[in-house]
Amino acid sequence: MRSLADITRARRRAGSEGTTPQAPTPAAPGAEGGAIDQPDAQAALSVRNLSTEFRTPTGVVHAVRNVSFDLRPTERLGVVGESGSGKSALALSILGLIDPPGQVAGGEIVLGGRDIARLSDRQMCAVRGKEIALVLQDPMSALDPVKTIGSQIIEAIAVHEPDMRRSAARRRAAELLREVDISQAERRLDDYPHQYSGGMRQRVAIAIAIANNPRVLIADEPTTALDVTTQAQVLTLLDRLVEEYRAAVILITHNLGIVSEFCDSVAVMYAGRFVETSGCDHIFLRPTHPYSEALLKCVPNPERLAEGPLPAITGFPPDLSRLPSGCSFAPRCPIGRERERCHEETPEPHSVDGPAGAAVVECHFAEERVGGALA
Amino acid sequence: MIRVVSKRLLGSIGAVFGASILAFVIMRLLPGNPARLIVGPLAPKSTVEAVKSQLGLNKPVFDQYWIYISHFARGNWGYSYTEGQTVKHLIVEQLPATIELALFSFVLMMLFTVGLALLVTYRHRPIADRAVRAIAYIGFGSPQFFVALVLLIVFSSALNILPGPEGRLSPQTVAPPTVTHLYTIDALLAGQLGTFWDAIKHLILPSIALGLTSFSFLVRLLRANLLEISREPFITVARGKGLSRWTAFRRHALPNSFLPTLTSSGLALGEFLAGSVLVEQVFNWPGVGSLVLDAILKQDFAVVQTFILLAAVMFVVINLVVDILYAVIDPRIRVGGAATA
Repeated sequence: MRSLADITRARRRAGSEGTTPQAPTPAAPGAEGGAIDQPDAQAALSVRNLSTEFRTPTGVVHAVRNVSFDLRPTERLGVVGESGSGKSALALSILGLIDPPGQVAGGEIVLGGRDIARLSDRQMCAVRGKEIALVLQDPMSALDPVKTIGSQIIEAIAVHEPDMRRSAARRRAAELLREVDISQAERRLDDYPHQYSGGMRQRVAIAIAIANNPRVLIADEPTTALDVTTQAQVLTLLDRLVEEYRAAVILITHNLGIVSEFCDSVAVMYAGRFVETSGCDHIFLRPTHPYSEALLKCVPNPERLAEGPLPAITGFPPDLSRLPSGCSFAPRCPIGRERERCHEETPEPHSVDGPAGAAVVECHFAEERVGGALA
Repeated sequence: MIRVVSKRLLGSIGAVFGASILAFVIMRLLPGNPARLIVGPLAPKSTVEAVKSQLGLNKPVFDQYWIYISHFARGNWGYSYTEGQTVKHLIVEQLPATIELALFSFVLMMLFTVGLALLVTYRHRPIADRAVRAIAYIGFGSPQFFVALVLLIVFSSALNILPGPEGRLSPQTVAPPTVTHLYTIDALLAGQLGTFWDAIKHLILPSIALGLTSFSFLVRLLRANLLEISREPFITVARGKGLSRWTAFRRHALPNSFLPTLTSSGLALGEFLAGSVLVEQVFNWPGVGSLVLDAILKQDFAVVQTFILLAAVMFVVINLVVDILYAVIDPRIRVGGAATA
């Protein structure tokens, strides 16, 4: 079996020859000072100013704030950030699965030319699982324990193809199980989730997600609950299938290693906002936002062993119901902590050119940092 | 599956055996001489002895138990000296009324429990949710006889839309030809829709009175379990497939939340069958509850002893059915075996 790194490299090569668009695609800079405005017609998914909030007795929690991005067909976007930064809320918002007391408070989610944020729940049922599919974090609880694996896959097929005969749906389900490398697929359709291992369940979850050949696949920490070897297998599988089915992927994770291997571009999420969106090469070479840099410094690196223990980002993420004025990261930021502007003025997203390509950054001092004026 | 059933079946037989010993011992330990009670205080000693030997009371205790249990199994349940009829005759006459009421109440309770619990959980409905919780709160704290009287006053006396305490049928309605002894089913079998409707109308109020407490408990239980399960990732996955919220709840949340409710509902049905005395009294329901109450007061041991054992058998059968349903609903009980790659 080829390693994941090999596959990714091969794919990247294919991309550089022009078969797949590989350039980082932070949302196209618009006319006014690099702000993002119109949805990109070419994109598989185009999100504009998406905001999601939860009304709780203690105040309104702003889980997603003004997030905009474009996802081109077959592009892979990694969304990284600390726990509670709004990554999962973003995934659920796109799928229209935010339940009261939460709600999508504003913004557009353009998929195939229409704004799905405005669709009714009933209309969204035709979109979910068909055009956008979801893979969840925990394989142990992502499958219904009292239904057979087969019935859960067949359900995903049948809901979008009500006229399909059950025997045909079953054949398709077995085919999907084979696609995700489960042996004796036909027989194992009748097994229950507790008879599958964790890695197998996660592969079943992927099979369910790709069942209807979706344009966009949202994977919310698909490997977090798995051990390292299984993680690699699942990622390799995901890599192969996404390639085969030509789906665009939003991979939500806090594992930057996975992002560097799997994704084309990265969005760094902090306190509900995309503070930096850029190509993978860019962010790992020269992170523009101070938070991205701090995140990268937390990743173990053999070359930095001499520098002593891994640094931690001081302080805690802000309370999303009591956000500070100005830049949300300012209180923890090595640059912004001392500067009045960072505490008073909210940075707008703007495009910055760096040595490895463009990035859309929400930081007042991004240019200075790229230019080397600020460390 | 067969393994599960046979295991439970063995356990059930053990439980009935235990209950029979208990019933037997308690009846023997109670003060008073049944023979003397039967023949009366003025009868000569020889008559008492004759009755005693007729009842087998002078035989060794193991023989007595054997006679008791073998007679019970054969349906030979003794003679009620207070009613002047065989116990079997009395029970066959009165038990169906209790069973019909209990089953009707049970079905009503389950429909409302599942329906209302789903209604207030599958979608965010704060007002409906508060209403259901209020009903459950009040229902849980109201004694059966009180509920029964309030229902009669409101729906029978004041609104006059449902019949008062006149038993299973209106006085002018003739009972349908006997097949199952359950009037609703017999009426349907005979095609007598008028009789069927009359029987249903007479069942509604006593059923509510009988089932309200259990309903209150169950709806709260199921609601809480549904809310808990609704936060499980597999519900999000199911909705992510494109299932509507309702379908995801019905297909995935309900079966996963239902087991505690199933257990409790089994106990509730047992209670409906064995403990409907108060409701039967209020509604003049010709059930087995009033028969047994009478028998206890008059020390009519044959009736009491039979009823204890019958109630035990009913409880055991219900539990057996619950256990089997458990295995039907949850494959982790039915299908053994750990994960295999």
